[in-house]
Amino acid sequence: MNINMINNIIIDGMSFSLPLFIMAIGGIFSEKSGITNLALEGLQGMGAFIGALAATLAAAAGAPDASTKVLAFTFAAVGGGLYACLHAVLCIRFKANQVISGVVINILAMALTSFLTKVINRTMFGAASDKFILTVSKRITVPGISSIPVLGAFFTSVYPFEILIIVLAVIAWFVLYKTTFGLRLRACGDNPGAVDAAGGDVAKLHFAGVVISGALSGIAGMCFAYSILAKFSGDIYMGYGYLSIAGYIFGNWSLLPTLAACLIFGFARSSGYQLVKLLGMPSAYSDLVMILPYVLTLLLLVFLSKKNQAPKALGEIYDKSKR
Amino acid sequence: MHDAKLYRRIAVIAVLLSLVAGAFVLLLLGRNPLMSYYNILQGSGLAPKAKYAAGKAMFTDLASLIDYWTPMIFAALACAVAMKTGLFNIGISGQMLTAGFIATITVGYSSLAPAAAKPLVIIIGMVTGMAVGALIGFLKFKFNINEVVSSIMINYIAEYVISFFIQTRFIDPLSRQSRTVSSAARLTLTDVLIAGYKFNIPLAFGLAIIAAFAVKIVLDRTVLGYELKAVGSNRTAAGYAGIRVGRSMVISMAISGALAGLAGVSYYLGYFASIQPKTLVSTGFDSIAVCLLGNSDPIGILFASFLIQVIGKGSTYMSSQQSVESEIVSVITGLILLFSACSVFFMGIVAARRKRSDAGTSDKAQA
Amino acid sequence: MPNTSTQPEYIVEMRHITKRFPGIIANDDVTIQIRKGEIYALLGENGAGKSTLMSMLFGMYEPDEGEIYIRGKKEKITSPSYASSLNIGMVHQHFKLVSNYTIAQNIILGAEPKKKFLGMIPVVDEAKAEKDIAEISRQYGLEVDPTKIIEDVNVSTRQRVEILKMLYRNAEILIFDEPTAVLTPQEIDALLDIIRALRDGGKTIILITHKLEEIRKVADRCAILRRGKLIDVRDVPGMDAKQMAALMVGHEVQLTAEKSEAHMGAPVLEVEHLVVENEDKFDVVRDVSFTIHEGEIFSIAGVSGNGQTEIADAVAGLLRAKSGKIKLKGKDITDLDVRRRTLAGISYIPEDRQQVGLVLDFSLRDNLALKDYFKEPFKKSSILQQKVFEQNSEKLIERYDIRSASRGDTVVRSMSGGNQQKAIIGREIEQNADLCIFVQPTRGLDIGAIENIHKQIIAERDKGKAVLLVSLELDEVTELSDTIAVIYDGQIGKIAPAGEYTNAMLGEYMMGVAGTKQSEEAKHA
Repeated sequence: MNINMINNIIIDGMSFSLPLFIMAIGGIFSEKSGITNLALEGLQGMGAFIGALAATLAAAAGAPDASTKVLAFTFAAVGGGLYACLHAVLCIRFKANQVISGVVINILAMALTSFLTKVINRTMFGAASDKFILTVSKRITVPGISSIPVLGAFFTSVYPFEILIIVLAVIAWFVLYKTTFGLRLRACGDNPGAVDAAGGDVAKLHFAGVVISGALSGIAGMCFAYSILAKFSGDIYMGYGYLSIAGYIFGNWSLLPTLAACLIFGFARSSGYQLVKLLGMPSAYSDLVMILPYVLTLLLLVFLSKKNQAPKALGEIYDKSKR
Repeated sequence: MHDAKLYRRIAVIAVLLSLVAGAFVLLLLGRNPLMSYYNILQGSGLAPKAKYAAGKAMFTDLASLIDYWTPMIFAALACAVAMKTGLFNIGISGQMLTAGFIATITVGYSSLAPAAAKPLVIIIGMVTGMAVGALIGFLKFKFNINEVVSSIMINYIAEYVISFFIQTRFIDPLSRQSRTVSSAARLTLTDVLIAGYKFNIPLAFGLAIIAAFAVKIVLDRTVLGYELKAVGSNRTAAGYAGIRVGRSMVISMAISGALAGLAGVSYYLGYFASIQPKTLVSTGFDSIAVCLLGNSDPIGILFASFLIQVIGKGSTYMSSQQSVESEIVSVITGLILLFSACSVFFMGIVAARRKRSDAGTSDKAQA
Repeated sequence: MPNTSTQPEYIVEMRHITKRFPGIIANDDVTIQIRKGEIYALLGENGAGKSTLMSMLFGMYEPDEGEIYIRGKKEKITSPSYASSLNIGMVHQHFKLVSNYTIAQNIILGAEPKKKFLGMIPVVDEAKAEKDIAEISRQYGLEVDPTKIIEDVNVSTRQRVEILKMLYRNAEILIFDEPTAVLTPQEIDALLDIIRALRDGGKTIILITHKLEEIRKVADRCAILRRGKLIDVRDVPGMDAKQMAALMVGHEVQLTAEKSEAHMGAPVLEVEHLVVENEDKFDVVRDVSFTIHEGEIFSIAGVSGNGQTEIADAVAGLLRAKSGKIKLKGKDITDLDVRRRTLAGISYIPEDRQQVGLVLDFSLRDNLALKDYFKEPFKKSSILQQKVFEQNSEKLIERYDIRSASRGDTVVRSMSGGNQQKAIIGREIEQNADLCIFVQPTRGLDIGAIENIHKQIIAERDKGKAVLLVSLELDEVTELSDTIAVIYDGQIGKIAPAGEYTNAMLGEYMMGVAGTKQSEEAKHA
């Protein structure tokens, strides 16, 4: 194994882990507020769809590449957030079972996006296609630091969205732990009755938690569309949403341990690929590598699930009028 | 019972709302919704098409619909058994795939005679599915792993591992699928000539109907069913009553997995005769819609699965007749799912209204 | 009509308040008027409508009819935060605290002090919060450590936090909903002192309670509610307890249960050196030993959360013993599971009837068979016998007067708390077990139902059964018990015949300040 491979493991690992991480942060917002969110998978897909659609339209209108990407990420966040409203309404207004609602949101997202992709391709672009082709995002290499062995890889071929994610993660931490909004949101996940009695609006906080998870998931979906997929299509539903859920469960619903979990997934995946390459195995073997993050998830869950403590009021339907 | 009747009404409304929403989309796309829905009936053999290919008739399509319906009944029953125990088996697709694959490579590629092969396929399918289901239940019971997360992980692991084996060992280079299983092992008798027409006869269909009634009897009339339902509605109370909660969850997931395994063999060695690598069939996910729509009741599921499969089966014909994307059908299914998920709320509203109108006439409840 | 120029006579007026819930009228044309600076008590049984009335004053519900005047001004109180802005505060019966937050975070929640980060972004100023809280707690003698996590502090501290929450928001009108239910006699006295101090500091206090004693100790005036209606308002000094009780219940009540001499027989339950740990691997029951005989009511008295429910759970098999032995009629049952213990002769009325004792979504018929469905004749070769279920359900409904909308078919969730409790008690008594465990059997029930249940407990004893009673209600313990064990911090401080205790003594043992067994590490909380 040479240094180049180690570099590749780090570069690919980071570009896969960070989108998982930002999606997991979204999940933490939702679950810390007390709403179970299994809908991340669908939210990231819907976000990526809206973002990719915006990018395709902008590109067709001749917008420059950089502003297209800004637009794509903005729309992905908005699209994910809006679609998350559906989960919020189902859970909060219609008091649906939150697990079922999450899965429904996912199934509906898959159906809607694949249908709309085809319809839009046919009606607007006259093409029979089930995808929106996107250009792979440009990568940035920080001069100087990047030439440090191994460590430099973290500053080599970095997607711009990785920087965005780190900035967003810091903001998310600040909001969650330093602001009144964060204090009340987290309180909802433990005892919504306390927030209600203290004059907080539980439904609004629940709603905010879910919508934030949608926006962040949308951004994550767009990251995948702009990196490993280079398109939007049904291939976006690879279970990454569920991986990030597993991520914050290991992370015990706090940010830094969640980051660590996501990094483990990312590096497991990228090392696997490098290994297949190194051993010169046929491409079918990469299928086996693909399962590494999933197997790892199961194993980690076996060791950590019992210890970790979910927010106390998670999944409870909060009914103000209950006495 | 009162609630069941109420639920039926809500389910019908959910379906109608979804069809109306679908019609609206079709109108937007400039298609005639009534005609489109009629095409669905035609495609699924419930209404006559304008013309048929040689040796085919409406009843050919109908037989094919039943062939297509069979795995869905099993899959939705699988979902229902878990749901009644308060578990959400979203891994039905993976369990179907695993069962189908194991049955394919053990019996499907053997030279066993039909009389031995067919029962063996069923048994192997059940056992494999049961093993996977029980594993998920065990992980939940022993390590407190959310069954949704673990079954999704197992879905992907199964998908990729099986795809790896198919591509390295069992690939048919032309179809890019696994090699076709022997007709001796297949649970569907293909191209049976009756009165000059060709029919596909699903042998497992009878088993599916029996399974539906068996599940109903087990849930409603047996000690096991009582225990599973108690665990499903309140684990603490079940433990207090002396029910071994963990054991019940594992048993429930094992039964659920076995039913999913039956869905798998009746799909991969029945309706189809090969496996497409890197794909999980939508049946596993649609079965959740069916189960919710059928209120997790086996008889309700028979109706709900028929409806969903008619829509699914007819979609290809509708798509070709109306030149509209067949995916609209999954959107409609998704909407049915969405509206069914709200049913608890609507039932609550109706119940509250009823209670208010009853107030004063019946017992004096305490605050 | 309210007059803006002069001070109105009443700080709170609720006029002709009516509030309906599906199936019941919680408040029926109730009018109360409260003066500034008085302690005003609301007396009534459970379900009399006291809490509902105050929930409307606090903005948690809105009245269907009637008007509320605060300081002479008509107000529509739509939310707790609006009530808070009118300087109304409430300590709820079930504390509204965030378990993983510090005391300071809990107090400021919803009214957070803010500072600017980088001169522009508002953030929570926790340092200021802690300073302010320390000051208020000094001012009113409510000592707390603001940096402690709620999970780690005891019940009376949590209550102080709730009071501080109100004071932090400058509440002038303080509502206390059954504040003494979870306290020891000594803690109750301390709380009543605090309440008096608050009144003397100019606050107006509304005290919801069903305990006459407390009202006599602190209240200035007292309103009596019964079945949602206002019965009377009295000045407390010089009132007659018996008469008040009669007004509250609607008929003459017997304040003590009738009980004959106990005839104790052979030992039924023997617990030896029992240790039980909770989920966090912390020992909540520490080296407990006791024996219960045939024909004996044995009570474990103590403040909530000192290990008494864990003892009951461990005896019934819901919790595993970490060490020690449990013997039933001489047979070691320590390693048996719940089912085998049931069959060995234990019946159990758990503390939480809705979450533990019943499957709320099952029918009454199925719930009444929860301990029998697996036995003949309820099943025959694993098929349930509906007829037997129905006969059993009819028998219990008649015998225990369980009222429901459609008898056996009723879904238990829709039944009232009292009838749910009757269903559990009926089912468990019919087990005819040698040992009957009652945990908080009368919590939340009205006096009539309580009387009834007490009679049944005594009847069980007189049949020669062993009864283990766990209750937080001292009156209940002293009235019923033949033997009382007092538990504090997972250890039993004293076991003695009921007659040997005075109330003060019980209190001392409940606080762990008396006796020999109190441990030096007792203050882990």
